[in-house]
Amino acid sequence: MLELRKDIFADERDDNLKEIGKGTQRQDMLGHVTGTSSYFGDHKLQGMLHLKVVRSTQAHARIRRIDTAEAERSAGVRRIIRGTDVPVNLNTLLSLINFGKDDEPSLAVDKVRYKGEPILAIVADSEREAFEAIAKVRVDYEPLPAVFDVEDALKPGAPVVNETYPKNAFIYHDVYDHQRLRFGDADAALAGADHVLEQRYQMSPIEHAPTETNGAISAPDTNGRYVVYTSTQALFFSVDTCAKILDVPSNTFHFIGGTVGGGFGGKVDTLTEPLAILGAMLTGRPVRYVFGREEEMQYGPPRGAERIYIKDGVMRDGRIVARKIRAFFDSGAYTRLSSYAAVKCAAHLPGPYTVPNVYGDVYCVFTNRTPATAMRGFGVTAMDFAIECQMDKLANLVGMDPMEFRILNAYRDGDMKAHRREAKNTALIECVQVAAEKAKWPIRDEFRRASSRKDGGGSRAAIPPTPTDSSRARPTTPSQQRTSYDRLPPTVTREPPRDPPPPAPPPPSPRPAAPSHGATRFSSVFGTRRR
Amino acid sequence: MAVTVKTFTSASEAAGALSSDRSARYLGGGTLVMRALNEGDVSISTVVRTQDQALSRIDASGPRITLGAGVTFARVLAERDLAFLHAPARSIGGPAVRNMGTIGGNLFAQNPYGDFTVALLALDATVTVAGGFGARDVPIEEFLQGRERQTGTLVLSVSCTRPANSEAFRYRKIARIKPKGGSVITLAAHLPLSGGRIAGARVALGSMAPTQIRARAAERALEGRAPDAATIAAAASAVTEGTSPSDNALGSAWYRREIVGVHLRRLLSGQE
Repeated sequence: MLELRKDIFADERDDNLKEIGKGTQRQDMLGHVTGTSSYFGDHKLQGMLHLKVVRSTQAHARIRRIDTAEAERSAGVRRIIRGTDVPVNLNTLLSLINFGKDDEPSLAVDKVRYKGEPILAIVADSEREAFEAIAKVRVDYEPLPAVFDVEDALKPGAPVVNETYPKNAFIYHDVYDHQRLRFGDADAALAGADHVLEQRYQMSPIEHAPTETNGAISAPDTNGRYVVYTSTQALFFSVDTCAKILDVPSNTFHFIGGTVGGGFGGKVDTLTEPLAILGAMLTGRPVRYVFGREEEMQYGPPRGAERIYIKDGVMRDGRIVARKIRAFFDSGAYTRLSSYAAVKCAAHLPGPYTVPNVYGDVYCVFTNRTPATAMRGFGVTAMDFAIECQMDKLANLVGMDPMEFRILNAYRDGDMKAHRREAKNTALIECVQVAAEKAKWPIRDEFRRASSRKDGGGSRAAIPPTPTDSSRARPTTPSQQRTSYDRLPPTVTREPPRDPPPPAPPPPSPRPAAPSHGATRFSSVFGTRRR
Repeated sequence: MAVTVKTFTSASEAAGALSSDRSARYLGGGTLVMRALNEGDVSISTVVRTQDQALSRIDASGPRITLGAGVTFARVLAERDLAFLHAPARSIGGPAVRNMGTIGGNLFAQNPYGDFTVALLALDATVTVAGGFGARDVPIEEFLQGRERQTGTLVLSVSCTRPANSEAFRYRKIARIKPKGGSVITLAAHLPLSGGRIAGARVALGSMAPTQIRARAAERALEGRAPDAATIAAAASAVTEGTSPSDNALGSAWYRREIVGVHLRRLLSGQE
């Protein structure tokens, strides 16, 4: 139980909260509706220069030569910044928490890995003059074979997108090329299930489309410091990222954030700040670098695409006995935050349901596409889309009402989740009941009486015997029944049971004593830590 | 080089400035030109404007209507006599774009825009452009075929004959985001009836070729026939002939070819 030391933190938390149920005005609303909110772009500094980048026209190519001779003579050009001018021209965002290897240059040096990757930055007196100089830059590319599909990228012999990860998959803990979840014996349970349904789901990248595009203005201050007005969503994160890339202490910067003109995860990548500050360092003048709308849409990082295969075993009475998932996150050419998305995804399996046998392989894959980043529940959103589509199809397959089917399989307080944590404060059953009631969707009495607080735990709290992967041959790639569901006859082939069927999820029984927790905990991101 | 803005009192002066400078672009409502400038289009160095009132004139009283090139979609929507053009006007952008975007600019809009022009093409409009010796009239089809060469030409107005009744002219825009997404495909059909048979069928398509085009095979299937299910089916199956759609973020060429017949059938048979 969290204890707040009121003797020390007297003002830290109001113990008389009473906001729920009341309309409360957002603190920034008045400024927004009266047009007086101040954004980073509202700062017009004396002598301000404008920075624009030359972007790759190729999805994957070696850079043979960059000819800037004509651009350097172009009117109004103050400075052309190359990759070699960036003090630390290789970074990965989560290196700040020691997660992942540096894999992304601020300006591409030897090769480009996605269409739109920045190659040069041009600082000029006006945006127009920067654009005119960009038109005069000649980049000589040697095109390389590109890969755009996550599964193709993992095949042997696929083009290597990012040499930091030669197998096109993010490597966890220096060893593992994917996140793996094993709970019970999913293969044996699938073999004993009445119905098996395998489906393929896919989600495309989604652009955050903020009203204000990504941008920053940096200006030299006294004492060798730099003031930075920025649209960042993650100010301290951006400060440290800039300190690393520019190889200076973070107190070199005075970051001023504030109103973000729409973020949703698309403004954490710190794409504009390092170059804006570097421009100010190299010219001694304020420098503004703002994405155009097309840059934001085409090259600003989106929510990553995902491909998901779900193979479920379900019994005639509606109980899901096994769920086997393979998921592929399309990280694009660089890691950014997708490595973390795959961790979140694995932790979310098998969704808010108690399934006694769960098997998950989640890959963070590199392709020659625009690097993906955070966006509202990333790592979970597409998986939930897939799982809930699958739940509807399973309900249909066993002839059950989809609401009742979810209540039957919902996790309950005290159940053991697949990642070996006890489920607490579950409340999915109550959510479904309320949704059914509000939608005037009839559900039967026994489901209306179900409760998350009842009938959980007991043998549902047990961790089932789980075979290790080395104890069996690696499963071959399952056949891809892309649309078989729609054409399946009512009788579904039942696989002959190879093993004795798994014990049915047990009838309700009293919940056992709460599982004890050790003094250390394992985090997929941080490894083993003391609590 | 900075961008120069030149403002003229008369359209003829503006036309002169436009034709003498390859880097000049006429600024109507700015929904295309300002976007290009903001996105770094360095081919534009001069912006030409005019305050000539003639360009914003609407003559909608008679059987033949004339719209000045500077008439906005919002003004078309505010004009009761232009009811037959309300559907295409409403299908363009959101209120902000409709308040600024003009009929003349729409003639130059590249895919996936230029929806109003699809309607004008089906209505066999005439485009009046400023020439060296005053104005000259160009059939819209000819204008569109040579559009790439027309950037130095100032459009003064567009005119067309009012359809006989609301059944004779139909318009539909297929978009993924409603009401203001770009066009997946845009369809317009002018099918005047004479003695129960279609006489003078014109079917126009947007996003099915680099410019707005007529679906001549569909027109032939309709011409001289009663607008019954068989005729409509024949037109729908012929509509892709002569089209050359391309892939973009809104849809693939394949998808456009697949759905254009479906939507033409729905449009002509009055289905939602």
